[in-house]
Amino acid sequence: MSPPTPLQSESKGGLARVLRELPSNVWSSVFRHKLPGASGLERSQTSFTNFFLHIHPVKVHRHTLRPLLTIGLGLMSFFLFVILTVTGILLMFYYVPSTTQAYDRMLDLRGSVAFGTFLRNMHRWGAHFMVAVVFLHMCRVFFTGSYRKPREFNWVIGVVLLLLTLFSSFTGYLLPWDQLAFWAITVGTAIAGYAPFVGNEMRYLLLGDNAVGQEALLRFYVLHIAVLPALMMLLVAIHFWRIRKDGGLARPAEPVRDVAPVTRPRLIGVQGFVRGPFTKIGNTPDNTVYAWPHLFIAELFVFVLTLAVVLVMSIFFDAPLEEPVNMTHPPNPAKAPWYFLGLQEMVSYSAFWGGVGIPGLMVLALLIAPYLDRGTKGTGEWFAKERLLANTLFLTFALLNIIMIVIGTFFRGPNWEFVSPW
Amino acid sequence: MPLANTPQTNADDEAVGSRRRALAFLSGFGLFGSAVLSAFSNLVFIRPRATYGEPQRFSIGKPDDFPPGAKLALDDRRVCIVRERDRLAAISTTCTHLGCIVSPSDTGFQCPCHGSRYDQDGNVTAGPAPKALAWYKVSVLPNGEVEVDKDTEVPPGTYYDL
Repeated sequence: MSPPTPLQSESKGGLARVLRELPSNVWSSVFRHKLPGASGLERSQTSFTNFFLHIHPVKVHRHTLRPLLTIGLGLMSFFLFVILTVTGILLMFYYVPSTTQAYDRMLDLRGSVAFGTFLRNMHRWGAHFMVAVVFLHMCRVFFTGSYRKPREFNWVIGVVLLLLTLFSSFTGYLLPWDQLAFWAITVGTAIAGYAPFVGNEMRYLLLGDNAVGQEALLRFYVLHIAVLPALMMLLVAIHFWRIRKDGGLARPAEPVRDVAPVTRPRLIGVQGFVRGPFTKIGNTPDNTVYAWPHLFIAELFVFVLTLAVVLVMSIFFDAPLEEPVNMTHPPNPAKAPWYFLGLQEMVSYSAFWGGVGIPGLMVLALLIAPYLDRGTKGTGEWFAKERLLANTLFLTFALLNIIMIVIGTFFRGPNWEFVSPW
Repeated sequence: MPLANTPQTNADDEAVGSRRRALAFLSGFGLFGSAVLSAFSNLVFIRPRATYGEPQRFSIGKPDDFPPGAKLALDDRRVCIVRERDRLAAISTTCTHLGCIVSPSDTGFQCPCHGSRYDQDGNVTAGPAPKALAWYKVSVLPNGEVEVDKDTEVPPGTYYDL
């Protein structure tokens, strides 16, 4: 690299040369390295001098890149979060959190805003997908035993992120201010009221009043667009950071092969840093590949796939909008969104146990699972034999929830009486 | 401080060390305490002192608007006015299960959401509702209008004698 020269001291073709080189100088000041060729050094430099790429490791283990290990579910959750943030911010340009205006604004989105219906569809379907994908991601992490030491706390953060995802959906549900919104939130916040000691106070804080109304709409709006996304961004950042600090995704212990140790002389000091470690510790073969391009292509693929699914759904299916709120006539049956129907089904047996007791115990079990399962064998593999008990328990728990949701969705009619969907 | 000039003994070192620990503990306690206090004051801030919604205490008109034997549900107030000869009562129409609106039926009240049923006095007869419908205080104001106070619950069966 040539040292920068002041404009006036330039001897030959001063200004012309500066102008000629201007575009490439600007470009190279923004992107410090060219797109890398085949050399490991170039690939590493491109990865860690770019803000968006430096979140990734320079090299990533082959095991991590196997599509069937993760099915890309964590990435999908993140990309859905990004899609929801972008579409959500766009929708905010037209939405007013007022009981007299909110519903009209929904109609305006449909009738007079360019791409209004489409953006609302993307936001709605994206939210449904996100709940499902975050849940599946949790299942993946459990069935592969990836929550074990040293990743216990990252699992806990993940559980909190699942709860925040559900709470975000719940708060977003009220905003269209249609019949479904009003009665689902009335029922949902009534469940919160069953929490022991703090239940009623919590409900009052959440609604800002004794019943769902203007205050509740404003509060849910603020939670939905500011408080919860900010919290989630922070936790997602910690979630990612901890993956790096824990040495990437969980994988089975490397089989130590009997190979000759690398015997190149060890370089000490700056030279050692620049050229990388020459001395391998132990006899483990290097099973890593460069993140550029292997990891980045995989991530791009997952992103395009996620976006494509949301776009196709939004083209073919419109997000439902019911009648405007009528505070005196609950629809019969008044059903919550599908992912809360398991809860609602349990609530129809006992409000406390179905709405607070059992869900509370479930969350507690999830939070404490990595601190109870201290095994090491079978980590990073699907359905490892050594983890049969834990996997069976979790599968039972997941299936029970799914069955409750199916019953609540398809088998409940007016007055929450049993009906056959056929 | 003349510390640099004086030869230090172990006892001096320990004294300085324990003083530092005490100060660090106090500062930590102070910072943590302030954090807890500010979190608490935020909670106080978002808990409304006055609400803008439907008032909890309201007048519903003259007693004569409710003829003897009437059982009139005021859905927007979420209360059912019951008149028996010369006495009045106000029974909540908010289902104690999950807050849907119950409607008067021949046998009492019924909820459309999860099928709870109540008798004429609001006691649960069927469904998941955990407790009876609330009865609210009724009084007649000096101007002759009937006032219902939803902040004050009264024992079931408490009527206001006109």
